[in-house]
Amino acid sequence: MRPSFFHHLHPPTIPAAQAQWRYTLGAGGIAVMLVLVLLVTGALEMFFYIPTPDQAGPSIQTIAFLVPFGGLVRNLHYWAAQALIVVAAVHLLRVVFTAAYVPPRRFNYLLGLALLVLSLLLDFTGYALRWDEGVRWALVAGTNLLKTVPWMGGGLYALAVGGPEPGGATLIRFYAWHVFGLVLPLVILSAWHLFRVRRDGGIAVPPPTARATAERISRNELVRREALAALIAGVALLALALWRAAPLAPPITIGSVGIAEARAPWFLLWVQQLLRWGDPFWAGVFVPLALTVGLALIPYLLPGPPRSQLGRWFPPGGRLAQIITGAIALLMIGLTVLALYP
Amino acid sequence: MPDVSRRDFLTLLRDGLLAGSGLLALGGLTRFLSYQTEPPPTTEFDLGPAANYPIGSRTRLPDVPAILIHNASGFSALSLVCTHLGCTVEQKVDGSICPCHGSRYDEQGNVLRGPANRPLRALRVEPNAGGHLILHTD
Repeated sequence: MRPSFFHHLHPPTIPAAQAQWRYTLGAGGIAVMLVLVLLVTGALEMFFYIPTPDQAGPSIQTIAFLVPFGGLVRNLHYWAAQALIVVAAVHLLRVVFTAAYVPPRRFNYLLGLALLVLSLLLDFTGYALRWDEGVRWALVAGTNLLKTVPWMGGGLYALAVGGPEPGGATLIRFYAWHVFGLVLPLVILSAWHLFRVRRDGGIAVPPPTARATAERISRNELVRREALAALIAGVALLALALWRAAPLAPPITIGSVGIAEARAPWFLLWVQQLLRWGDPFWAGVFVPLALTVGLALIPYLLPGPPRSQLGRWFPPGGRLAQIITGAIALLMIGLTVLALYP
Repeated sequence: MPDVSRRDFLTLLRDGLLAGSGLLALGGLTRFLSYQTEPPPTTEFDLGPAANYPIGSRTRLPDVPAILIHNASGFSALSLVCTHLGCTVEQKVDGSICPCHGSRYDEQGNVLRGPANRPLRALRVEPNAGGHLILHTD
């Protein structure tokens, strides 16, 4: 078979042991597929969505209820966005738990972390575009957190909100960030991330002398497996989109009687739980920022395992990084459960 | 004076100019994005004739948001903006509770339970010449 463009994105052959699902989890590839779904469905939503406080809700209802397949497009966009956060987090854990971040892959680890942060920002800005009672308090609390940053808080708030309180200026700002300001860096960094995978020698593998077998698979087989993963993920996504519609509440009206409980979007529930206990700056800004910086520093500060230990789960040389990252993940999950079931 | 070759000097100059241009652009971008298109929100609310609020009444003013209290010592008002992160607190029988992070306040706006650590803000209420109550949020 004559290799196509997609085949040429892959190395000619890779070691069979590291091409297995149980090693990669397929998370990076599925993340790429989800980003593609998000770009297409997002572009389609732009044909109808109107980023003004009066029109946001009605235009979303037009998409969801009137436009043929509009509900499906919106649900796919919603579920792909939620799945991207999960898949990207799983990908990060896989990389840390297999110590794939050791040189020469340190820089690509940083690119990946930046992509996770961009995905979270995209998810939050997209969530706010609903401009309904369901997002109101998360928007108020989230933007007020910026004010608590020492000496630059007021400036950050003005930059993000564009006014004295969340309003029309905020919605159009979030829209601009969501459809362009964050998407452009996401696409560029994604391409860079994929390029660096090839440049750094493909997936992390042990040196030839440390391999159990010399068996390799061809790029044809690799592309076949990726297509299969995309197909399975696509079916799952479609099932989710048909099973549960993306949420939509009545539009924000000033002075409306609040709802009994105001929940943050699910991926920020752990921060909301921290905020119930702590000072806004420390719990809501410092801790999330410190955790991100801490994760970024792992390949630079902690000793990595020798190359002979690469290509498998939980190499003993990366124990400290595994324990720290595992603890952070458990902490976030624990706080989320606490927020859901107080 | 240390020896700096012409090449080193020019390289330094180039890098300095690039860094300077970058910082200037960043400053300009920050100012561009910080422009505020919306006017500041009103800080004065006309509540209508004082006679509309009999003694002993507690009236919720959702637009502010605040609560107007009329008791033996006269009119007073409490902001309903939680002092923790700005969500609007919900009125309960014996005080108020914030839906976002669970802060509780008593009827006078004092904190009963954190994470808020400051009482609800007391707002100024004054009658104007026409007998209307004016609420000031500044």
